[in-house]
Amino acid sequence: MAEVRVEAGARSFSRVLILTGAAILVVVALAALAAPLLSSWGPEEIDANATLAGPGGAHLLGTDTNGMDVWSRLLYAARLDLGVAVSAVALAVVVGTALGLLAGYLGGWLDDVLMRIVDIFQAFPTFILALAVAALLGNGTVNLVITIAAVNAPAYARLVRAEVRSIRELPFVDASITSGASTVGVLWRHVLPNSLTPVRVIAPLNCGWAMLTLAGLSFLGLGVTVPGAEWGAMISLGSPDVVAGRWWTSVPPGLALLVCVLGFSLLGEGLQERADARRRS
Amino acid sequence: MRLLRFVARRLLQVVPVLLGVVVVTFVLVRVLPGDPIRTILGPNATDADAAAARARFGLDKPMWQQFLDYLKGLATGDFGTSIQSGTSVGSELALRVGPTLELVVLSVSLALLIAVVLGVWSARRADRFGDHSVRILALVGNSMPEFWLGLVLILVGYSALGWFPAPSGRVDPDTNLTPLTGADLLDAILTGNGPAFTSALSHLALPVATLAIVVVAPLLRSVRASALEVLRSEAYLAATTHGLRPRTLLRGYLLRPTLVRLPALAALVFGTAIGSTVLIEYVYSWQGFGQWALRGLLYRDYPVVQASVLLIALGYVIVFLIADVVHAVLDPRVRI
Repeated sequence: MAEVRVEAGARSFSRVLILTGAAILVVVALAALAAPLLSSWGPEEIDANATLAGPGGAHLLGTDTNGMDVWSRLLYAARLDLGVAVSAVALAVVVGTALGLLAGYLGGWLDDVLMRIVDIFQAFPTFILALAVAALLGNGTVNLVITIAAVNAPAYARLVRAEVRSIRELPFVDASITSGASTVGVLWRHVLPNSLTPVRVIAPLNCGWAMLTLAGLSFLGLGVTVPGAEWGAMISLGSPDVVAGRWWTSVPPGLALLVCVLGFSLLGEGLQERADARRRS
Repeated sequence: MRLLRFVARRLLQVVPVLLGVVVVTFVLVRVLPGDPIRTILGPNATDADAAAARARFGLDKPMWQQFLDYLKGLATGDFGTSIQSGTSVGSELALRVGPTLELVVLSVSLALLIAVVLGVWSARRADRFGDHSVRILALVGNSMPEFWLGLVLILVGYSALGWFPAPSGRVDPDTNLTPLTGADLLDAILTGNGPAFTSALSHLALPVATLAIVVVAPLLRSVRASALEVLRSEAYLAATTHGLRPRTLLRGYLLRPTLVRLPALAALVFGTAIGSTVLIEYVYSWQGFGQWALRGLLYRDYPVVQASVLLIALGYVIVFLIADVVHAVLDPRVRI
């Protein structure tokens, strides 16, 4: 009886997590789209009469050292942060899944070579790896997407490969091979859809992580640079003000970043919890 | 004796991996774009100046010759000379590793303690209010940009309350601390320098808190998951139905099997901690390994990049080795 109640509790908690996470992300995405409507300043517009002005008055959240409006930069930055994170993870999923599918299904030397490369990638802390790749590729939005995708793709390759290897042994795969389906057909119709289950849970969590990486790189000057509007770059620009007690240049962008990443984390955790509950029952 | 043999065998297995890391880093930093010589000479240098500087660091020789020289140096413990500063990489490293290690070890230990207490507490209340609150807190911690958290702690702890020193340095220079290991707290204890100890401790408080909060979140989730697994196992159910005292049940049947997984978790978290340290050192001007490695990377300082990559890989290997040994000691089922 108690066990049943716990399961029901877990299910409703996972629904709360998923809904809250999704709601946060929808709000952030809408705010990003409606940025021109919600603020009267452009993201790179300079108000020369008001550098480091406090919140209130003409500037809702004050201005930074360059005299740029913090609130409007905050809104416009959501576009870049969400866009880069989501497209980087999408790229990582596509490349990683393709490699994992090939390695797991074909096996042999291709599998060996690919997995050794994955081993080398995973022998380093991911953020350190991202730093190294970003330092080599240089700034630019496209390069940042490539950097973050490159650091994440190996994990997807390993995940999908493991799934594929167990799916390959299942009878229905043999059945479709013996009934004359081509290798591509079997992979596309049967193996791929079934091997994506864990990817669906990991990808949202990964989007949050990608966002933190992007902001971390920008904070160190290796990502988006000012005047580009990005949360990490805004925090970086505002960091000297902290010692003087000026909070408005760095606290709001960090809070926005935290809330947005939390949205992805809640969504991922909820999906994970639901998958676990389903497996147990 | 068996333990020693295990450690020796593992260290031998590691040699080819490290050699691979050495070769790959050596080739990659040279093949990929970026020139360390141009960055030290500035825009007005002539081609002749550049050639002279290149010759001084042996960068004019063929790559295989440079690699052999580098290997020869490594064999005698010589990491080469930094192109940026012109001093020996080994002696710079000696100054930089201590402070970072102190930061990481203190934070990870603190995080482990918090994670075990909260994780087990949370698992025993699975899917009730307390458990849900702990899990939400862990998610918030997991979503936290560590560099921003550092700034917020400075804002509150230094600018607003004035309880902690300004984020510039690791110890008050007026305390005349004699550096021995570079880890200031340890140095203060070793030299019996009371004022330096208090000063180092107050400088450590905010960075350690920042790193611990970031590290505790993934640990907490894992501890909770493994405690939950133990609680749902048949062995634990059998022990409960035997009517054992709650204390025995908690210590012998829940904590021990949960703790067995901890070393592997701590090793995994080490990677996260190293990545975060780069950012946290930057925020607190910590002058540790992370900042040094970052500068080396930005200026393409070949010897510095090579040494820091090798050290990170070596650190990983050692941490996982320690984790395996501790696991074997804790878990009688593991034979090594």
